[in-house]
Amino acid sequence: MGSATAVLRVPTGKYFINVVKERCKECGLCVFVCPTKVLDKGSERNSRGYRFAVPVRPEKCIGCRMCEYSCPDFAIFIEVGGG
Amino acid sequence: MAVAHPLDRYLRTDRLPTMWCPGCGLGILLGCILRALDRRIREGSLRRENVGFAGGIGCSARMTLYPYFDSAHVIHGRAIPFALGVKIVKPEMKMIVVGGDGDIAAIGGNHILHAIRRNADLVVIMANNMIYGMTGGQQAPTTPRGLYTTTTPYGNPEREINIVKLAAALGANYVARGSVTHTPLLEQMIYKALGKRGLAFVEVLSTCPELFGRHIGFRSPVDLYSELRKRVVVKTRPSVEESDYSWERGFVIGEFVDRDEPGFIEVLQEYTSRARGGAG
Amino acid sequence: MRVDYVTGNTAIALGSIAAGLRFYAGYPITPTSDIFEFLARELPKRGGYVVQFEDEIASINAAIGASWACAKSMTATSGPGFSLMVEALSLAVITETPVVVVYVMRTGPSTGVPTRSGQYDVLQATYGFHGGLVVPVLAPATPQEAFDLTVRAFNVSEKLRTPVVLLSDATIAHTYGRVVVREPGEVEVVERAKPSVPPEKYRPYDPGEGLVPPMACFGEGYNVLVESLTHDERGYYAPRSDVQRRLMWRLYRKIVESAPELFDYGAAYLDGCDVALVSYGSTSLSTLVAAKILRSEGYRACSIRLRTLFPVYEEGIRRLLNGVGKVFVVENNVGLYYRELRGVLRGSEVVSVPIIDLDLPQPREVVEVVKQWL
Repeated sequence: MGSATAVLRVPTGKYFINVVKERCKECGLCVFVCPTKVLDKGSERNSRGYRFAVPVRPEKCIGCRMCEYSCPDFAIFIEVGGG
Repeated sequence: MAVAHPLDRYLRTDRLPTMWCPGCGLGILLGCILRALDRRIREGSLRRENVGFAGGIGCSARMTLYPYFDSAHVIHGRAIPFALGVKIVKPEMKMIVVGGDGDIAAIGGNHILHAIRRNADLVVIMANNMIYGMTGGQQAPTTPRGLYTTTTPYGNPEREINIVKLAAALGANYVARGSVTHTPLLEQMIYKALGKRGLAFVEVLSTCPELFGRHIGFRSPVDLYSELRKRVVVKTRPSVEESDYSWERGFVIGEFVDRDEPGFIEVLQEYTSRARGGAG
Repeated sequence: MRVDYVTGNTAIALGSIAAGLRFYAGYPITPTSDIFEFLARELPKRGGYVVQFEDEIASINAAIGASWACAKSMTATSGPGFSLMVEALSLAVITETPVVVVYVMRTGPSTGVPTRSGQYDVLQATYGFHGGLVVPVLAPATPQEAFDLTVRAFNVSEKLRTPVVLLSDATIAHTYGRVVVREPGEVEVVERAKPSVPPEKYRPYDPGEGLVPPMACFGEGYNVLVESLTHDERGYYAPRSDVQRRLMWRLYRKIVESAPELFDYGAAYLDGCDVALVSYGSTSLSTLVAAKILRSEGYRACSIRLRTLFPVYEEGIRRLLNGVGKVFVVENNVGLYYRELRGVLRGSEVVSVPIIDLDLPQPREVVEVVKQWL
């Protein structure tokens, strides 16, 4: 089991999409609000049994942060860089 | 406390994940509050040690458990007088009252009424999920008429409160209604509220998928979120008369009042200094 | 220091100023409003604030808030208002908030006779709120005691981080008396302990070696947590039996173990006493006279007035009444505090003398009742 702040960090080219695995509750809001459908529910589960979100089409990320702003659990955030 | 997310510096991260159900809008609202505070603190218009939270009882009031600031989780409906007590004796504090519609509009109704009348220098953020969440989904004064809750199994017979009109009528300096479905706008409203003297009131439409959505056919967080988003009507500088709060006609969000009358604290200080100047 | 001639209510207001009151939150109610009015005039001159709130609930909650901003705070009320305050007093108990509540009893129940007296609320003053813990209750009988015990109420409240009830009544409230009034700086004033550790190491409910945790305030950078839920030393909600046990026993012990230090009473004719008339508050004025009458009639009577009603210092009371044949508990209600003393004085003959009167039980009436038992 990863530490409480273990982060799945995926480069998109211009950005990094970061998912704090243990904080995700699988509500699906980030998947829903993403305008370019970058995210989806993953298949891996965190220690609470939630399938945390994963970037399935990272290259489509436009860095709008709608996922970050709409996540109720501080579980996903975007960093500029990596390009 | 370990840091991962950019807002972690303002969170008691050792208390995460939050106690809220998956998809609860309250976490989205907390994010907006912390980003607005971050902007204020970074630009130097607020000092971190002068920010305090107070909340009563309910899922919304439990928002006070997570910010890494001075914070009070008090009793049902009474966060406003607690916060005002702090503010009167320590005017440099920026007190943020967070509470739900039950906490602020029902049991705390008398306090919000008089806090607004005083134009008390508080930021009051009322998360409105149209339900009593923590106690299991009972009717609230904000529950739209006709909807089903656990205590109105044949439909809610009551007329809902439009608290924007109340706040505007009693003379708050700032009155806005935002929604967790429109986060940049909501963050901007809270940022603005944090810069106001007098009473700044922000009603925030939020989602309770577990106990509100479930009874009205929108059980999943995404379903309720998208339903609310559909029913939200964004207006630029709407008048108070345009502040519709209606399941059928929609919920108008925007800034309804923005004025700059002296707040209670400065008036109180002025009057108090008269006592010292006069009879000494 | 000066000598003045003032009412019990004014003496309380003056005492609160001497003790360092900075914030008074009030809601008008008979027979306390003149405390409020006096402070509204005088406290702002000394840099304090007096605010009238929308009800007693707001008043007590604002006083608790101000205390968390490090201001000594007080409110005053009577039965109906105290009944509204009890939920918040329970909050003050669990959050360990110093605050002084002046409770000027009037005739009840409910609206009763608002302008007249009684001692019906003596048990409510400490048992009235949920959670089953005890708060200190101090009871003056004269304007001088009203002044002195107000100062003491603040000191106890700060030292033990607890709400303290100053229990007066309508008779004392409006009785004039000679009072030695001391100014701030002329009385001993206790301030709450402040944390000695830096903010990142501060745990707001960690009492260290003692029973009372040091208290940081809002605005000092300590990120304090005021928590109404059952909490651990950090102030984090912890719904666990071990935490609840630790918290409850500490909150209980910090008050109850202070009983010897808090114990305070006045006595007259104690020498060779065989018939003790025990009372508190305004009724003690009647029992003092009653004891004098009984003495003149050849009885070895004495009068004892308790100034600390809670916590009950059982050993102290037993020692005080050691060797006394009969103990009469005189009070202006149906015999309430008698129940406390009966438990403490098992083995002695303890008789309840409940005399209901809109003002004071008349000394003659006390004497008559007592003599029926002699």
